[in-house]
Amino acid sequence: MDKINIICVDDEREVLESVSRDLAYFADMFNIEECESAFECEELLEELDAQQEYVGVIISDHVMPEKSGVELLTEVALDNRFLGTKKLLLTGLATQADTIRAINNAKLDNFLEKVWDPQELLQTVKELLTEYIVEKGLEYEDYIEKLDPPTLYRLIK
Amino acid sequence: MKKYLKYLLPVLVPFIILLLPASSFGIVGMTLVEQRIIAIFVMAALCWVLEPIPIYATSVLIIVLQLLLVSDKGLWFTKAASPQELGHLISHKALMGTFASPIIMLFLGGFFLAMAATKYRLDVNLARVLLKPFGRNPKFVMLGLMMITAVFSMFMSNTATTAMMLSILTPVIALFGRNDLGKVAFALSVPVAANIGGIGTPIGTPPNAVALKYLVDENNISFGEWMLFGVPFVVVMLFIAWLLLTTLFPASIKEINLNIKGRFLKTPKAITVYVTFVITILLWLMGGLHGMNSYVVALIPVAVFSMFKIITKEDLKKISWDVLWLVSGGIALGVGLDKSGLAANAIEAIPFAELHPLLLIAGASTLCLLMANFMSHTATANLLLPLVAALGASMHSLLPYGGEVMLILAVTFAASLGMSLPISTPPNALAYASGHIETRQMAKVGVVLGIVGLLITYAMLYVLNQL
Repeated sequence: MDKINIICVDDEREVLESVSRDLAYFADMFNIEECESAFECEELLEELDAQQEYVGVIISDHVMPEKSGVELLTEVALDNRFLGTKKLLLTGLATQADTIRAINNAKLDNFLEKVWDPQELLQTVKELLTEYIVEKGLEYEDYIEKLDPPTLYRLIK
Repeated sequence: MKKYLKYLLPVLVPFIILLLPASSFGIVGMTLVEQRIIAIFVMAALCWVLEPIPIYATSVLIIVLQLLLVSDKGLWFTKAASPQELGHLISHKALMGTFASPIIMLFLGGFFLAMAATKYRLDVNLARVLLKPFGRNPKFVMLGLMMITAVFSMFMSNTATTAMMLSILTPVIALFGRNDLGKVAFALSVPVAANIGGIGTPIGTPPNAVALKYLVDENNISFGEWMLFGVPFVVVMLFIAWLLLTTLFPASIKEINLNIKGRFLKTPKAITVYVTFVITILLWLMGGLHGMNSYVVALIPVAVFSMFKIITKEDLKKISWDVLWLVSGGIALGVGLDKSGLAANAIEAIPFAELHPLLLIAGASTLCLLMANFMSHTATANLLLPLVAALGASMHSLLPYGGEVMLILAVTFAASLGMSLPISTPPNALAYASGHIETRQMAKVGVVLGIVGLLITYAMLYVLNQL
């Protein structure tokens, strides 16, 4: 079975832990990674790519020191190696200009506001992962129990 | 250790078979080529059952190993023995040809039709129109759903049909009450109908294609002839399945409203798709009247859709090559057994003639049904059909019961009837993923339909033989 990663990026430790907790549902089949900054995330991406692992979803905060979430996700969007990786911005402090850049440049797949509803986050990631797996042509049968059925039915041809 | 067994066994057991002295098989005058074919067959069986590698990879491995070990252009040392000891080497062209055998072309044509129908939304639009007359009573809506699913799965892959119908159903199922058993019935009706529907035409499901390989010469069955008994079988089975589902899992909801959006496309390309679709099917149904067999007809949509860019370069990449290769491997296995002379020799050595022919038909189809519940239907057919075909051809006691055709059809139908577990077929897995069905409920329906299906198959074959 291919290793698929879900990466969470946030400069606040508590937020990271709480996102991980909300996504514990995926833990036995997917790899959940935590990064405390955009730079850490970039390093991790290099590492994962070197090991030929898949990056299914990146969930990133926007306002972080040194490098913002939108900048990080824009880089990912332009990087050929991570074509198809789903990008979710999870933030409470994005201005309208940030949001515009996030949609136009970082090609966001989803936008959730802090404070988030754990159920909504879980469902959103489920759908994004399902899309990623089918679009990438991975063996969806292997992960079927963790995926979102309606999305699966819609995408399988 | 147990974890590694599935990797070790498919390597070790065939290796041991290769090293055994030729006399240990109980077949007089067995050649080296025949011994190698046995080893390859055993490897294929172990790989398909244990699945250490993807099932289509096993098929490719069969063809490549045959090319290396028993072909006229194989490795040098495989041809070193004296011709008498070695036996008949198989032509490498025949083995490579299995990738493009007429049966594969028939399936390719089917894929093109299905892809074009999906791309130009012929499937969803037909479903919308055809479902209308069934009203809003859950019972009849379900009957309509099942009939349409079955018809579609005769021409499209069972998996794609199931996904499409489940996506239509999902918003409806959400309206059911928490404990309404009707949810189970609806979620199960789709995979059941798709599995059954696949039996209706030669291109409905890959096991049918594998069977065509063995239905040649005087046993040849045309597309139309297959449908002549396949479709009535599907109709009867669907009706039984519908009764079973509505009795076991009655819906308490009173009204159902399926809402499918869209309208028929009227662009020139879409019209080309409709026309080609209808013409291809008509040509298939006409049989030999126009001089073309179903294999030749199948390539017409391939040409038309490529010409008009209805199937583009990108679409070509999405063709299920794995399914085509899976079938190729099965055909190659049959070629190996036949051309090496092993099939004929082995049948002579084993006293099958003493066996009652009806016992053989019942035994082989039951074994097939059992295997198909736990592994891929196509892999099951790939393994059993070459053996059954060789047996059937040599058994004269089968003749009063219709000869090898009956045996082959019984086993082929049985392969499609394995549907009692989520792992039995991809449609079952998709429906199970919806979360509305328990394995127990699926098993109840699957086991009943499997057994009833076999009995109806026997009855149908009996009637066919009387005609």
